[in-house]
This record gives sequence, C-alpha cells and structure tokens, in this order.
Amino acid sequence: MSPPVLPAEQVLRIARDGDIVAARQAGRLMASEIGFSRPEQALIATAISELTRNIVSYAGTGRLSCRAVQQPRRIGLRIIAEDQGPGIPDLEAALRDGYSTGNSLGLGLPGTRRIMDDFDIRSAPGQGVTVTVTKWTSC
Amino acid sequence: MSDIIASSAPRADRLRPATDEQLRWFDITETDRSRAEALAATADELAEPIIEDFYRHLLSFEGARRHFRDDDQIARVKQGQLRYFRELVAAALDDEYVANRRRIGLIHERAGVTPTLYVGAYAYYLHSLGHMVMDRMQDDPARAVSLLLSLNKIAHFDMALALETYVDTREAAIEQREREMSELPTPVLQLRDGLLLIPVVGTLDSFRARNLTVRVLERIRDLRARAVVLDITGVAAVDSAVASHLIQTMTAARLMGATAVLTGLSAEVAQALVKIGVTSEALHTAGDLQHGIEIAERLMEG
Ligand SMILES: Nc1ncnc2c1ncn2[C@@H]1O[C@H](COP(=O)(O)OP(=O)(O)OP(=O)(O)O)[C@@H](O)[C@H]1O
Ligand SMILES: [Mg+2]
Repeated sequence: MSPPVLPAEQVLRIARDGDIVAARQAGRLMASEIGFSRPEQALIATAISELTRNIVSYAGTGRLSCRAVQQPRRIGLRIIAEDQGPGIPDLEAALRDGYSTGNSLGLGLPGTRRIMDDFDIRSAPGQGVTVTVTKWTSC
Repeated sequence: MSDIIASSAPRADRLRPATDEQLRWFDITETDRSRAEALAATADELAEPIIEDFYRHLLSFEGARRHFRDDDQIARVKQGQLRYFRELVAAALDDEYVANRRRIGLIHERAGVTPTLYVGAYAYYLHSLGHMVMDRMQDDPARAVSLLLSLNKIAHFDMALALETYVDTREAAIEQREREMSELPTPVLQLRDGLLLIPVVGTLDSFRARNLTVRVLERIRDLRARAVVLDITGVAAVDSAVASHLIQTMTAARLMGATAVLTGLSAEVAQALVKIGVTSEALHTAGDLQHGIEIAERLMEG
C-alpha cells in the first residue's frame, strides 16, 4: 500500500469574522482529506472557530496554521493559533468553564481542550497567546 | 489625502511598519540613495524617449488602450509618469514620499490599472533605462551595474508601496461590504398570527447580535407574538460565542412571553457544541425549519 499523500500545511491570517469562516472551511477540508469522520470534522471546525474567534475578540489579529502530523500508527491534524495580543494573565482561570472577560459563555478554551486530543496553551502578559491542539485519527 | 487613505484602511494602517523599518527591510541605505541620485541626470534626459517608447508599447494593447479617452489624457498621464520616475531617483524617501506613492497607487487602483499593468510598466521603464545606462557607461560597467542595482532596490520598495495600497483598498472595500451586510436589518416574518420566523444569515458578532435581540423584542411586542422560530441555517460559523448570543436573544424573547425555538443547526455542529459544553436545553434546538415550526405551533397551543 502506498503511503497516503498528506495535505500541505496552511497558514491563515486572522483579523476579522470572515477569516474565522475561511479558517473553519480550510480546517474542515484538511480534516476530511486526512480521513476524519464527519462528526470529527465538525469538532475540528468548532475548535478552529473557538481559537480564531478568541484571536479576533481579544487580540485583534493573529495567525492560524493547520498541518498533518504523522506517527507510526496514526495521523493527526495539528492546529496552532497564535497572536501577539495582550496575552492571558491567569491561564488557570481562562481554562475554567464559564470564565469569560467578554461576557460570553467562557467555554471556548475549556471546550476546545475537551474536544481535541492534545492541548497546549502558552501565554504571558503582553506576549500574546499560542494555543497548539492536535486531533488524532482513530486507527 | 493621506488622511483619507488612513481612514479608509484603519486596520492595515495599524499593522504597517514605519518608513525607516520598510527601508531597512528593502536594505536601502544612504549609499543606495546617493547612487540613485547619481542616475538623476541620465534618468531625466532619458525619461522622455523611454516614456514615448513605452506608450507605443502600451497602446499596442487593446486592453490598455481602453484606459485612455483621448490624446489629451495620454499627454497628461505621460507628464505624471515623468514626474513619477524623476521622484524615483531624486526624492527623499520619507513619510511624505510614502504617502504620495500610496496616493498614486490608490488612483491607479480606482482607475482599474491592474497590478500586472502597473508592474509591467515599471519593468519596462527599468529595463529600458538599464540598457541605456549600460550603453552610456561602457567605460565603467561595474559602476553602472551598482547604480542600477541601487535603483532596483528603490523601485521594488516603490512597487511594494503601490501594491500594498491595492491590497488595503480591496480589504477596506470588503470590510465596508461586511459592515453594510451586518447593518442590514434581519427580516422578521410573521408566519401566522402570533408566530414569527427570523432567518439569520451571515456572521453573528456581538454588534449584530444586539441588533437582532432588539429587533426580535420589538416585533414580539408589536405583533403580540407568542412563538419565535430563529433559523440559523445561514449562519456560517456557529461556536460558543454565537451560541452565547443566540441564548441571550432567546432568553430575552422568553422574558417577553414568547416561546423561542432554534432551527437550522446541523446535527454534527449541535453535537460539537454540546461537547464544548453548551447545554442543548439552553439552545432549545429543533432540527430543521419545518420541524421547528411544528414545535413552535404546538408550544403556542399548549
Ligand atoms: N487570544 C487571546 N488573547 C487574550 N485573551 C484571551 C485570548 N483567548 C482567550 N482569552 C481570555 O480567556 C478567556 C476565556 O476564553 P474562552 O474562549 O474560554 O471564553 P470566552 O471567549 O470568554 O467565551 P466563549 O469562547 O465561550 O464565547 C477570555 O474571556 C479572555 O479573557
Ligand atoms: Mg472564546
């Protein structure tokens, strides 16, 4: 069997609502190319939506990158959302269900952590935020 | 004029590096400037024949010819071009220069001069000038090359300014359209006595969500509605922020005494939202529109 051709990395500039829609679509397409099921594609699109929405709402502008990652027995989709905005002073609080400084549900970050397999967030005040998440195919 | 440009593209402006930073990016040094200046006399002298030659080239293209009304206009544009190329070798590369270049870029963009036409014209000028300068400086070709390479840097900086303006202008136009779209009032349809249907389309940011809530409440009051079906088939990116807005709108409707039902959420997205942590009771989803209307009717009667 020949190894599957993995889709190329995509990097998208995120600055406004329209970019959120475009990023979701790009991520969903890549997820389907990698072989994720439709419900998994929806989870990935939702995670992208949450991360990019946070960029637009709290940092103004940033970048999203999506790429396929391969390990001996599985393939994954890795999403990195990064910005140079004000950063998050209290990460622990930001990851708690219901914590929101934007009068919203406060579910974006904790929810994304729940629906993705790997989740990593880095931030320092004034240094922006970098969130790296990965979803692995179930094979 | 530069004010107009700035105000029509506020976001891009915030991201744009300062002029000296840009010069550093193009590696344009004092040496490059003085070398370009050394070309000023030659460029001045050669500008006219180059531009005449260029217009012969240009006007042999049907598409390009359509940009000009008459010979008068061609003469004016040629004058402008003479000035443009003179400034390339003579002007100080400061904020004023940048503003001026961007203004010219804007005029080109408005006039429908495509990036291909613009960059092509530039390339034509540069290589004509290059040939002529090499011809004239046959005794010192090394110096000729170094002068032309310096000019080349400045020309690229110049082209970048114009292209940035193209991009900014397009972006500003897109933003403008998005803003206009988001300011379009959401239609509220009365399906029958007491039952409202609200199709929400596009993106739902907090500004739009607030307007939506106000409008829904007004219509509930004016039409004495007892049930509202909110259809979000046309909303492109549903996530927890959008869910939050919808919950607020629906809660407000319920406080006004109307039942609110949400339709048009795909099963997969609904599932994803539940996993994120949005409770399905809060959203009160009813699958497709038809089903939603039936539920709303039943709730009205019950
Ligand atoms: N990129 C970011 N830059 C700065 N602050 C951020 C960023 N992302 C999140 N935050 C902070 O973390 C908090 C929690 O984020 P999270 O996405 O979980 O909730 P929310 O955006 O407030 O609400 P929801 O996502 O449910 O609409 C935000 O309210 C905000 O204060
Ligand atoms: Mg969020």
